[in-house]
Amino acid sequence: MSALLEISNLSFGYEGSSSPVFEGLDLSVREGEFILVKGPSGAGKSTLLRLICRLNKPLAGTILFQGKDIAAIPPARLRSAVIYVQQTPQMIDASVSHNLLLPFSFASNASKKRPKMEELQAMLREFYLDGVTLEHSALKLSVGQKQRLAIMRALLQEPVLLLLDEPTSALDKESAAMVFAIMERLNFAEGRTLITVTHLDYTPETVHTRICTLSGRTLMCQS
Amino acid sequence: MPGIIEISVGQLLLALLFILVAQASSFIYQLGLNRDILIGTVRTFAQLFLMGYVLTWIFRSTTVWIVVGVFAVMVFSAVFIVKGRVKESQIPYIVPTFLTMLISYFATAIFVSGMIVDSTPWWEPRYFIPAGGMVIGNSMSALAIALERLFRDMRQGREIVEMRQALGADYREASQDIFRSAVKAGMIPSINAMMGVGLVFIPGMMSGQILAGADPLIAIRYQIVVMLMLVGSTAVTSVVVMLIVRRRCFGSGEEVLLTPR
Repeated sequence: MSALLEISNLSFGYEGSSSPVFEGLDLSVREGEFILVKGPSGAGKSTLLRLICRLNKPLAGTILFQGKDIAAIPPARLRSAVIYVQQTPQMIDASVSHNLLLPFSFASNASKKRPKMEELQAMLREFYLDGVTLEHSALKLSVGQKQRLAIMRALLQEPVLLLLDEPTSALDKESAAMVFAIMERLNFAEGRTLITVTHLDYTPETVHTRICTLSGRTLMCQS
Repeated sequence: MPGIIEISVGQLLLALLFILVAQASSFIYQLGLNRDILIGTVRTFAQLFLMGYVLTWIFRSTTVWIVVGVFAVMVFSAVFIVKGRVKESQIPYIVPTFLTMLISYFATAIFVSGMIVDSTPWWEPRYFIPAGGMVIGNSMSALAIALERLFRDMRQGREIVEMRQALGADYREASQDIFRSAVKAGMIPSINAMMGVGLVFIPGMMSGQILAGADPLIAIRYQIVVMLMLVGSTAVTSVVVMLIVRRRCFGSGEEVLLTPR
């Protein structure tokens, strides 16, 4: 099976810095895989995800998505298929439903099916957001609730590849367990391709994952 | 109608009392504005007297290039004042700002001088230079406010912009709130001026014409043209500059280039 994502010889460094964050990095991701990227803070885990969706520009190397160089794909079109969920969930000052439906107002998502309100309400329950209504102010939710809402918002766009940046970093144990359960379900039951960055010593119980460690400027993956 | 009352040198110096009051306020409340007030006062005297002599010379000019050249120098100086107020080093905004200001103000000044006032020739310095000066002065402040707002909000709102981008927005969709807010911030003073004119304040140009003995009804017509001209030119210049500079805040892959300070 051909790779969904093929990263070759990727290097990244910040402007003005003499040493790169990482260099010569290779990674191949097949459809339906669940990749966990671990490593110490500052190793460039988040940067790797940001490079995959072109929120940052690499110093060198190529990233192919569905066989095409991402530099040749219009950025908005790439990001409507490869969705990145930030470490700190960001909501606009509006209701939960407005936040969930926000991406449908973007031209690149125009052909996607807009969910009905009943579907959104049912989905909130699946994401352990039972007490939250669609009219709720999104800014008033807890960080854990916002994190789950951010993942839900990304999934409504039917991403081909979902990138989750430290989705449990600011959460308590109970909220983190909920997010882990959602990730495992997405991969196991729905066959979604996921790349998740985490600093936690987390190993999923129900799904098979490939664990990659980003450390000392290189990425090492288990076979 | 009595002639204009002259202001002697002594009377002019008496007006410096206002500056003393401003300096005292800054000193007592430690506003840190003493140096700026001093420099501003000296520059007001120097620049206006210089302008008086230059204007006398320009108004006698019969060469179009001298008038246009003076106009270009005025725009160039305005850009430097904007640069001094908008302290941004990551995004190159000076050249597009200068070119937009030059083209837009030139078009406005030609329109007002040549078509509305119908002066002959269109560059008649007595109309062209004051019209240009008012447009440049007004828009310069609007641009400084709008640019400052754009850069500040892009920096502070970077995570929100990136959230939208990560969900499929292009750079325009991701930053449209910031763009609107920046243009609005620049436009508000001109719109407020239209609301308050004749009610809260009597504009300088109209007062000047009336003091110089012009018929108030003619002075009013000129002032209306000026007010409309200022709003129109400020809107066009702010929108065009913000469109260009906003694009420059993003890289070739539409990645946000502004990093936190």
